[in-house]
Amino acid sequence: MNARKTITIAFFLVVLGVGHYSMNAAPVIRDDAHTYQGGIEWETDPGTAFDAAQSQDKPVLVYYWATWCTYCERYDKNHYRNETVRAAMDEYVLLAVNVDDPGDGATLARQHQATYPPQHRIMTPEGETVESVEGYIGRDELLATLEKGSEEAT
Amino acid sequence: MTTVVFGLAVGTWLLAIGLFGSVLATVLLGYEYATGDQSFRRVSQGAAGVATGSFVIALLYLTSQFLSEDYTNAYVWDNTANYLPTLYKVTGVYASNAGSILLWAMLTAVVVTTTLLLDRYSTRGARLSQSLGMGVVTVFAWMLVNDSPFTPLSTAYPSVAANGIPQDGSGLNPLLVDPFMAIHPPITFSAYALMVVPFTVGVTHFVAKLRGTESVFDNWLGSMTRWLRGSWFLLTAAITLGGIWAYRVLGWGGFWSWDPVETSVLIPWLGLTAVLHTLNQYRRSGRYAVLAPAATAVLLPLAIYATTVVRSGVFRSVHSFAGGGIGSGVLFLLGTTTTLAVGPAFVHWFRTEQSDAEEAGLLDRATIYHAAVLGFILLAFVSLWGLTFPVVRSLASGVEVSVDARYYNLWSFPVVVGMLLAGGMYAQQERFSTRTTVGTAAAVLVASLVAGVVLARPEWQLASTEPFDPAYYRAIGSLSVVTVLPPAVYFAGAWIIRYVKRVRRLTGRHAKLNETGIVLIHVGAALLIVSVSFVYVFSTTASVGLVGATELDDPGERIVRDVEGSPYTVEVTDYSPENTPTMAEAAMTPAEAGSVDTSASTVLVKGEVTAIQRFEDTTIAQLNGSRVWVGADSGTVQFEEGSVVVARGTLSDPRSENIDALVYTNGDNFGSASDPPTEVYSPRVVDHRFDVQLYRDDTLVADGTVSEQSYRGRDMQTNDPLIERGITGDTYVVGTRTAGGLSIEISRYPLANQIWLGVAVMLLGMGLVFMFDPASGAAGGRNAGPRD
Repeated sequence: MNARKTITIAFFLVVLGVGHYSMNAAPVIRDDAHTYQGGIEWETDPGTAFDAAQSQDKPVLVYYWATWCTYCERYDKNHYRNETVRAAMDEYVLLAVNVDDPGDGATLARQHQATYPPQHRIMTPEGETVESVEGYIGRDELLATLEKGSEEAT
Repeated sequence: MTTVVFGLAVGTWLLAIGLFGSVLATVLLGYEYATGDQSFRRVSQGAAGVATGSFVIALLYLTSQFLSEDYTNAYVWDNTANYLPTLYKVTGVYASNAGSILLWAMLTAVVVTTTLLLDRYSTRGARLSQSLGMGVVTVFAWMLVNDSPFTPLSTAYPSVAANGIPQDGSGLNPLLVDPFMAIHPPITFSAYALMVVPFTVGVTHFVAKLRGTESVFDNWLGSMTRWLRGSWFLLTAAITLGGIWAYRVLGWGGFWSWDPVETSVLIPWLGLTAVLHTLNQYRRSGRYAVLAPAATAVLLPLAIYATTVVRSGVFRSVHSFAGGGIGSGVLFLLGTTTTLAVGPAFVHWFRTEQSDAEEAGLLDRATIYHAAVLGFILLAFVSLWGLTFPVVRSLASGVEVSVDARYYNLWSFPVVVGMLLAGGMYAQQERFSTRTTVGTAAAVLVASLVAGVVLARPEWQLASTEPFDPAYYRAIGSLSVVTVLPPAVYFAGAWIIRYVKRVRRLTGRHAKLNETGIVLIHVGAALLIVSVSFVYVFSTTASVGLVGATELDDPGERIVRDVEGSPYTVEVTDYSPENTPTMAEAAMTPAEAGSVDTSASTVLVKGEVTAIQRFEDTTIAQLNGSRVWVGADSGTVQFEEGSVVVARGTLSDPRSENIDALVYTNGDNFGSASDPPTEVYSPRVVDHRFDVQLYRDDTLVADGTVSEQSYRGRDMQTNDPLIERGITGDTYVVGTRTAGGLSIEISRYPLANQIWLGVAVMLLGMGLVFMFDPASGAAGGRNAGPRD
């Protein structure tokens, strides 16, 4: 067998390996009940989220996002993966609604007029909206909003 | 006006004639191939000519409908509006599915018919190839007849048409109002259309092999290489124009974001690049006897796959403007072309004994060349798989996974580094011994890895990774971007040395220009790879909010803010919203207002007051001496003879002998032409312009306007950035309006312009090769100097 054949066979093995490895290594963004924006587990059903909020007495952070939204990627990368932000978000029940495919979140998205991503809302466990963030904001501003929202909503 | 004949619009009849012609040509050409009977030659040529002609006429007809604002055509109404300048009226033609398929069909038909009319493509095998080409045209024609861009408004939108012919269109997607977007689609589709002949010839080749007849592949090799080089040139330009568009218009801060559409168009490009390399070897040495024709044939399905991604809506992306589902037509085309391209080739490969007489060693030039070709295929696979596996996994398990830039970057990066090494070795080996070459390449590899590890400061790393990321991503992501530099320098250097040594021996002018082209393509590619990698890693972004920026209107007033975490200070000195069209431009003339159905509730009219009549409660004023008057409650509006006024109000027919229409207005809805009542006016576009100065450590680095456009009836904004270009990179400022004012984002893109330079060098190189290649250049000249 000559060298060209050898490397062709090696090539196909590499292709299979890359394909298999990369598919399994890809970050999960949604399964049956959750999405995973920025590697954090978010509820997708407002019913479940508000039940949890009431039982834990936590406010709800609603995140409107879309797969093609580059500012959402920045939220994922710059904020949700940050330890301080994550700690502040622990005070919340997290609910993420894909604006293109809102599913159970459709009514809430209409109520918030959230037609473009990214947007955030902070809501009391009873469903009252206390804070709104439209578009992308810096980390300090986000932290301040999260802190303010959790005071207002509890 | 859309004329309907026997239930179909005239334009749709043109498409139906095109369908008939292409079906007839497909069948007759197939018959000619099967039987060898040439008696229908004239008929098949005529049928193909008629089909092509009807597509050309249909496209011109559609364009004329756009230019004349013919809103009886639903597609025109959907994709343009009165306020757009002529250029963007024309680009509306291919702003949506049906129009762009028409463009593609027309270009494909022109290419196929050209081969049919030229005598040099008239062997029996050519008939099968042309039949397949017309078959592709037939599928397009079928799609167009079913989803015609000539559907009357009354059929597509009965509720809109019920109120009479609309005065204005619903508009063009704002993202497409850009000069780069005006030329991007025609260039892309031209590139795709040029792939059709290589596809049919590739398929015909294997059919001929299977049937034991003579193949046309070798005869057509020269012209096919030319088609494909032309296609490569156009596709490279199209991708670049798209990148420039994304950089300037989307204002999302980037020319490449691995958006599904960007990724998908890269797949045929990588395939095309691989094919040009295999054809080069095939022509010289006969290697790749199966791979070269098979890969040639696969390009068209890859292009169709890219289009499926753009248009199907399966993959969400910034290109969703074209969404809305393209139907089964493109999927059918994808299925059949893929089957035809892969099937016969596979059967042939399976049935023949591969006689690899030459024994190539691991470090022979042929082997290294092969490795580089495989590299292109691997890169294409990475892109293809990145688009595909989320769909596969979602279908298989319902789990949705994300594919981010990291996937594409980190899997492609090592392949590119390997290809640079292989390409450098190939060039070096031409003039140096294998031992020297291997030694040099090994040294470069070591330098590359050392640089990659030693210079792996966090901000230089290829990706930021977390401990919970997969091992491969952590390993490659932690390398420094500098890893790419030694192989790229080696690659460019080896090709330049090869060129210098080679060009001395060449005698013909064409041969020298061809060699120059080849070296430019490779050096341009190295420059492109380095600058893209560096821009990716070294770009920085910071943002700041400027509350109250939308209230700046007095001269001298300004808002100054330091941008946290960066050396920048932003100063905003003015805010001015501009309306398109302006209220005075949007207003109708009295003559237009007079022809409007009085059931239309509110109209906007402009004219000179030529007479005034006062009644007890009402004052009315004649406009331009016409039978259209403006009226208001006495005392609310001051009419003055000779003044030009703009008035908005309800239209009524006062049933008077001298007055056809009365526009009843009031103080809030009335003003002079120089000071119209803009508070009650909602323009198609508002351009929110902010004058911005950017200082870096007290030095002014950018001074100009950032703006955001909002659109009536559309829930979207576009942003025009302020870009300060420089040799070391671009400073990029984009402003987004927020509830409190303005949010400014400042990015720095080092080496951004080296990307465009790299592409320009590659295009120049391909232009030279296209023209002057002694074997198959467009400029001819087989007599020019020796090859190899």
